[in-house]
Amino acid sequence: MDFAKIISETTEEIFNCMIFIDIAAQSPLESGKQVLACHVSAMIGLTGDLTAMLGIHCPENVGLAISGAMLGMELEEVDADVKDALGEISNMLAGGIKERVSSENINLDLAIPTAVAGTSYTISAPKGSQRVVVPFTIEQGQFFVEIKYQLN
Amino acid sequence: MEYAQDIIDSTQDIFSSMIMLDVTPGESFKRSDEKLSNSISGIIGLAGNTKGMLAIHMTNQAALAVTTAFLGMDVEEIDEDVRDAIGELANMLAGSIKSILDPGGSDIKLSMPSAIYGEDYTIDCLADAQSVTVPFAFDGMGFMVELQLRKDS
Repeated sequence: MDFAKIISETTEEIFNCMIFIDIAAQSPLESGKQVLACHVSAMIGLTGDLTAMLGIHCPENVGLAISGAMLGMELEEVDADVKDALGEISNMLAGGIKERVSSENINLDLAIPTAVAGTSYTISAPKGSQRVVVPFTIEQGQFFVEIKYQLN
Repeated sequence: MEYAQDIIDSTQDIFSSMIMLDVTPGESFKRSDEKLSNSISGIIGLAGNTKGMLAIHMTNQAALAVTTAFLGMDVEEIDEDVRDAIGELANMLAGSIKSILDPGGSDIKLSMPSAIYGEDYTIDCLADAQSVTVPFAFDGMGFMVELQLRKDS
């Protein structure tokens, strides 16, 4: 299963159709423990034929730009609107991924989105899980879409 | 509050049987997005007909003490062992609560645990879900177990 391709396609589709921002997918990061310098993240669990966690991680200005475009309003700080918008994006991304992998006979259910924000945090996954991180660029900078998963 | 007793039962059960610590529950409350400082949180998503999130939020000091007791080895900083232990704790708590809420085993499925840690962060659940948090104390330290649930009818 090529999660980098699935993430790139799903993210581009959602940003084109729902948020109306042009984004460019870059090569997936080499696996490892890069610390993504981010200030707001939304994550959602997926489970079924694999257990996974999907996340979108943004520096503050990128998170504000994406949420602002989605909500059609100017946003100046990481507030409840920004967290809600990113949570909804993570939900749509997870839904898109669920749909794409179902064609390979992998069935998944979604949990509910959670937002993490702050000036200093790191998110880690259990030992032994696989991780794919795809960076995307928009005018304001870079954001990351990540999936961590384990086959059941 | 609904589910508070389930959280207490599951948490006391897991801490006494797996970590050999007696933990004392406090009064349940509804947590909003208060800042967590120098802390670590283990979180895991629940999916299925009942969706939600279970989280355990610990100060670094409490996490080190719990991990030391859990793994039977001394840990001094929030390293991979601590992150894995706190994620696994969220996983075990979610499994225990699932067995209470969903005895048939078909309604709730667990996703993958994550650990979030740092000097300064907030965690909030975004769906329109019921939320309850129970604080616990042991050896002068504390942690919180938070459950968010939404039933899809």
